Amino acid sequence: MGNEVLRVEDADIYVAGKRILRKVNLSVGAGELHIVMGPNASGKTTLLSAIAGVEPYEVRSGKVMLAGEDITNYPLHERVEKGLVLAYQNPPSFKGVKVSEILKWLRRKFDLDPSFTESLAEILDIHKLLGRDLFSGMSGGERKRLETYLTLSIMPKVALLDEPDSGVDLDSVGRILEAIKLALKHGVSVVLVTHSTHMLNLVRPLTNTVHLIFKGHLVFSGLYDEVVPLVIKRGFEGAAKALGRWS
Amino acid sequence: MLNKNMAEAARKALSKPAPYGPDVDLSKYDVLNPRRIEPTEILEQERVRDASGRLGFTPEIVRKAGYVQVDEAYLASALVESLRKQGVFVMSTAEALRKLDIAREVAWTLIRPDTDKYVATAYLYGKEQGYFIYVPPGVKVRTPIYTCLLITRGMTAQLLHNIIYVADGAEANVVTGCSIAGLHAEALHIGVSEFFVGKGAKLTFAMIHAWSKGAVVRPRTAVRVAEGGRYVSYYMIYSAVHSLQSYPKVTLGRNASTSLYSIISGEGEGIYDVGSSATLAGPGSSAEIISRNLAKDKSRVVARAEIVGESGPSKGHIECMGLILSDTAYISTVPLLDSRNPEATLTHEAAIGKIGEDQLTYLMSKGFSEEEARALIIRGFLSVEAPDLPPQVKLSVDRVTELISSKGHG
Repeated sequence: MGNEVLRVEDADIYVAGKRILRKVNLSVGAGELHIVMGPNASGKTTLLSAIAGVEPYEVRSGKVMLAGEDITNYPLHERVEKGLVLAYQNPPSFKGVKVSEILKWLRRKFDLDPSFTESLAEILDIHKLLGRDLFSGMSGGERKRLETYLTLSIMPKVALLDEPDSGVDLDSVGRILEAIKLALKHGVSVVLVTHSTHMLNLVRPLTNTVHLIFKGHLVFSGLYDEVVPLVIKRGFEGAAKALGRWS
Repeated sequence: MLNKNMAEAARKALSKPAPYGPDVDLSKYDVLNPRRIEPTEILEQERVRDASGRLGFTPEIVRKAGYVQVDEAYLASALVESLRKQGVFVMSTAEALRKLDIAREVAWTLIRPDTDKYVATAYLYGKEQGYFIYVPPGVKVRTPIYTCLLITRGMTAQLLHNIIYVADGAEANVVTGCSIAGLHAEALHIGVSEFFVGKGAKLTFAMIHAWSKGAVVRPRTAVRVAEGGRYVSYYMIYSAVHSLQSYPKVTLGRNASTSLYSIISGEGEGIYDVGSSATLAGPGSSAEIISRNLAKDKSRVVARAEIVGESGPSKGHIECMGLILSDTAYISTVPLLDSRNPEATLTHEAAIGKIGEDQLTYLMSKGFSEEEARALIIRGFLSVEAPDLPPQVKLSVDRVTELISSKGHG
């Protein structure tokens, strides 16, 4: 593993007073790709949102460390400044807020690397979206490509991508994959939630670790070939049982 | 010289309240005698710079303004020579009524002096202060004509009568800024405005208001748009007021059209009762009324809009949106569609809400602070697509939008 950049230690994660995940531990190295898998409503979005600091998700015990710094109690936007960014599964729409305006602001705030952002924009085909209202009236593919762009363009230490491939066409999946590759190449660590076999096949050669979440527990963290084929063959429950962490 | 009959009617209307907005005791304000002043006298006054600066009007704009009124003093027309040569006039209404037949012909034909006590007061005591702008047939004045109506003295009544006449086939863009020096000053502003848009002519009128906590503001505006003409109005207020009540009325002839935009940003304990009304009097006419209303602190915003479909085919649409930025603020939208012709297609949409938590959180997840996120959302809410606005006017509008959103953290 490269230098550890993100560590979640013994985290109990709550949403609106209810515990959703217990005693989560995970560790991500610099420039690594981690996949988070699990059935619907198993807590994948909860995990990513709590790490990112999105309310009402909260880590009540345990901690979140970013590059050695305890950021458990940092507000959302400060975590972004520290280099931890979440890509929403379903970002909200904004009327009157232009994509170009957001990009201008990001450039000013984060001193973006122009050659990286230009390549990223090219890959994700962002230019034609610049004059549009943020996410308003956009297709599934446009929304996901844009959200991926907004997340990766600041070249964070860790990007948390929550199902960037759901509900999009194959061309957009390919573009998002290329964007992830470019980010990894630049040392960005990526934690990716996905359900799609297509995406899973594509990211196999890039993946360092797969985390399996089942019924409120992170039941297993291991190599791609230890987890994914088993899930495809036996389903999530079967895989959780077979990996000996669920009975 | 006042018309005898009108004066008599006006006198009878001196205690006639307006149908909307709080009633105001006008007797406590001083009415001063109009006088002409020199440019240097205006530009050197700190209070003038304060008042015009709050409108986002640079000293350069004030210097170039076609008409500047400071309290009772006025400076008419620094219009460029080329415009004068084309027959464009900008002068005080009093002077126009003395010199020009067209002014005498049209004055007080759209708004009756006995409309209410505010108009009656302006008619009887205003001495025809205010501006008169005339653009002759076929002349297209694309550079904006700026007018500044400023109050710098407390307890003053500024009573104005403005007339714009854009003749057949002509075009004009007028930007009017109304402001007061000092954020707490008490004053009264009554602006009676009559606008005439000729056949195939176009008038774009942007009005920006920056008043004070003690300001009582009662604009009265009526517009007549002849066949194939177009009138675009863009109204913005982004300051505290004591109370503001205005309900401009536009009457559209055959194939005439109008777009009426208003951006209201209420604050303090101010009452903002602002509306727009359009009457589709000619077949083929169309109107859209679009308003964005913000309310914070303890302000009360009433956004009225009315479209009357008198003839058909015709089309009208009202879009009235409100954003409440505090628990103690109030917004009411009152859209009214009144159809008297089966061929008139009239629609409206209205919504009032608060800033969405999901939007705030999303922007913060991209690094915006809460304040920055709020400002961006407010700016988005206020940014109305108004394709008719000339670039220079749009600059003024954008500057004010920026000011509103930056202080709209509620």
